[in-house]
Amino acid sequence: MSAGLPPEAWAAHLAGLPGVTPARLRQLLAVGPPEEVAARLTRGDRGLAPSRTAAGTDPLAVLASWQAVAGADAAARTWERCVHLGVRVVVQGWPGYPDVLSADHAAPAVLFARGDPGVLAGRRCAVVGTRNPTQSGREMAALLGAGLARHGVRVVSGLARGVDGVAHRAALADGGAPPVGVVASGLDVVYPREHAALWEEVAGRGLLLSEVPPGTPPEAHRFPLRNRVLAALSEAVVVVESRATGGSLLTAREALDRGIDVLAVPGSPRNPAAAGTNELVRDGARVVLGPDDVLVALGFTRPADPPARGERRPRPAPADAAVLALFEGEVLDVDTVARCTGRPLGDVLSSLGRLVHQGWLRRSGGWFEAVGAP
Amino acid sequence: MLASIPSATLLGARGHRVHVEVHVAQGLPTFTVVGLPDETVREARDRVRAAVQSSELPWPQQRITVNLAPGGLRKAGAGLDLPIAVGVLVAVGALAAEAIAGHAFVGELGLDGSVRRVPGMVPLAGAVEEPTVVVPAECAHEAAIVAEGRVRGVPTLRSLVEALTAEAPWPTVADPPATPDDGPTPDLADVRGHGFARRALEVAAAGGHHLLMVGPPGSGKTMLAQRLPGLLPPLDGSTALEVTMLHSAAGVALPPGGLITRPPLRQPHHTSSVVAVVGGGTSGLRPGEASLSHGGVLFMDELGEFHADVLDGLREPLEAGVVHVTRARAAVTFPARFVLVAAMNPCPCGLATQPGACSCPPAARARYLQRVSGPIFDRFDLRLGINRPSVDELLDVPRGEPTAVAAARVAAARVLAVERSGALNATVASAQLDEVAPLDRAATAVLRRELEVGRLTGRGLARVRRVARTVADLDGRSGRLEEDDIQQALQLRGDPLDLARRVA
Repeated sequence: MSAGLPPEAWAAHLAGLPGVTPARLRQLLAVGPPEEVAARLTRGDRGLAPSRTAAGTDPLAVLASWQAVAGADAAARTWERCVHLGVRVVVQGWPGYPDVLSADHAAPAVLFARGDPGVLAGRRCAVVGTRNPTQSGREMAALLGAGLARHGVRVVSGLARGVDGVAHRAALADGGAPPVGVVASGLDVVYPREHAALWEEVAGRGLLLSEVPPGTPPEAHRFPLRNRVLAALSEAVVVVESRATGGSLLTAREALDRGIDVLAVPGSPRNPAAAGTNELVRDGARVVLGPDDVLVALGFTRPADPPARGERRPRPAPADAAVLALFEGEVLDVDTVARCTGRPLGDVLSSLGRLVHQGWLRRSGGWFEAVGAP
Repeated sequence: MLASIPSATLLGARGHRVHVEVHVAQGLPTFTVVGLPDETVREARDRVRAAVQSSELPWPQQRITVNLAPGGLRKAGAGLDLPIAVGVLVAVGALAAEAIAGHAFVGELGLDGSVRRVPGMVPLAGAVEEPTVVVPAECAHEAAIVAEGRVRGVPTLRSLVEALTAEAPWPTVADPPATPDDGPTPDLADVRGHGFARRALEVAAAGGHHLLMVGPPGSGKTMLAQRLPGLLPPLDGSTALEVTMLHSAAGVALPPGGLITRPPLRQPHHTSSVVAVVGGGTSGLRPGEASLSHGGVLFMDELGEFHADVLDGLREPLEAGVVHVTRARAAVTFPARFVLVAAMNPCPCGLATQPGACSCPPAARARYLQRVSGPIFDRFDLRLGINRPSVDELLDVPRGEPTAVAAARVAAARVLAVERSGALNATVASAQLDEVAPLDRAATAVLRRELEVGRLTGRGLARVRRVARTVADLDGRSGRLEEDDIQQALQLRGDPLDLARRVA
């Protein structure tokens, strides 16, 4: 076996074996030091075959696929990539592994990290939600991200499109506590691609974590696994908006399994983007109406008043104000507004137009939704 | 041994005079057709010989040459069968040249001697100048639209010869079979809810604005589109004739009276080819769906599913109101001024108009939207999201306003527009807008702000002003445009596909 590679390099290499699940990786690392495990794999040691496989899969076939790639060259390549990217490899049970995860029943055996691991020592709260939020969902995510960061709470999120990205951006923009990002792909495989700058900023100002080695693509099955790490890292999980089958609900379930508080932002029952969060509320999740509610849940005693900003939009005329009042948490179309006000359609269109014009409403497809204070 | 028979051939939607010259001479029995015939005309040789022999008329065992003059014009279709047969009969002396003087002939022959209908009878009959036009009995009523009182319909070659030789009177033509009834035209009174969309239909009808409806499956886009022709006023005399010629040339069945007076509605399927929609084809240059909807409505359901080249082919008619079809041997111009109504889903799952409801991956959504090119999207003056009506709307609201009431407002608005600028508002040139659609101070301020924040482009500005003009016309106001008109126009020219956010 080639000498010169540190033990972490071998651990990183084992984490990248084809079809290696967190459980299988833990099983492998329990056998002995990683360099020894790798050496035994190259010899095809049957004792290392996974103990449990899906029906129809031969454990020996899995072992053979591992044997095929378990060479020193591959390990060296992975390690070179980590060094080049400035990615640190930490292994469960070894020094440097985050304390918050060491007690977790499903903790990742190997973690890849960019940034400052020290940030995990502070208060941490996950802000997650749908990739396709409504305007009010975006505003809420931004409000929570900024409000938590300002009070020194690290915003933990998945760097996905939508709520995740908005929350992190707001946390970074406020200049408060450093953010923590947990991603499903290798740390050099930016997904979604338009978040490249955000990844860099999170890694630069906070911490970016992944349980797969660099170069791993963002495959669909990795996202639920990522969600479990996300939940395990947090003291509370806030779901901003989620459809009835959204991935954020998986994060919430992982949190509940660990006894971690789940909080949800309620929405209109007619808003499909809030169906999942409303179900969480019905199931007993704590209701979040603003950052203060989260801070209270985290044990902050007297939340500071949010700094008020002057309203600079022109006050709508009485007829327009009556239209605007209908939008309390609702997403409405023209016909519904016309029916609720009983005014002629032409008038309603003019009112809606003026409200969009003044910045009180925004139009999205055939619908209108209220815009919060800027 | 020589005969010259007047007839006509169809090129595009126009008839052209043709003289069929037949020469019968001594020599080996042959039968040749010269003078730019297409494949169908060349096949006429076999049909004509069989038809003449089946009708127990003499067929010369001699050298027959048929020339179609003028030689430079391309001849298409089977309508020249009848004049060729008459020419042969005259050339061999079975018919006297005097008997056919002043007669023109158009019609296809069956092998049994029957005279069959040909497409384009209206323009064909319009092209001949002879005092009498002999046509197939089946389409005598079509020919009568342009040649009232000059038309003789014949069912068979035999009956024609008997009439010409005065052995029998001209056959009487039975009334045309009633075209299958499409049922009553759909009425707006059947539509529940959809107040916004009704308004958009009214504006589209009054100003001739193209309309794009974006909405989930089952929200009523098709139902609404089918009610637009009912809002349009009946076709005026010259347009009605133009439309009838186009339909006749395409072989589409005409209404019982012959003349098409109601604005047509055409709904090509999204698998249609460029030629089918724009016009053309290898033989005869047939008018496409765009021209068949001239004066009426072209409804394209599932706009995103049409081939990109079909949509691009529509850019010319949308801009100019005509289609120029040019092939190596012929070029024709079809009128094609229609109101385009298009419908599409906002994304593959169909739910994206509602914020947060769509479950499509962003890449799939972007791919779906890219199928409709920017230039096409830009040509819709009216773009609105259609949502499924709520339960309340379906049950509570009294029956909607009937088409006739809205059509009266549309007619009044169209009169205002045409009196002002001589054209519908949608076709007013940008340079004329300051004169046609002047703005008051508040309206200018609204537009200035929209331009400043980038929600409106220069081209969008002109379109919003045209729509605002129509909104005011529907109110019966002809003066300066007010803020309300502009606000309504801005809402009617919305962004139902949410392209703004996608770009941002």
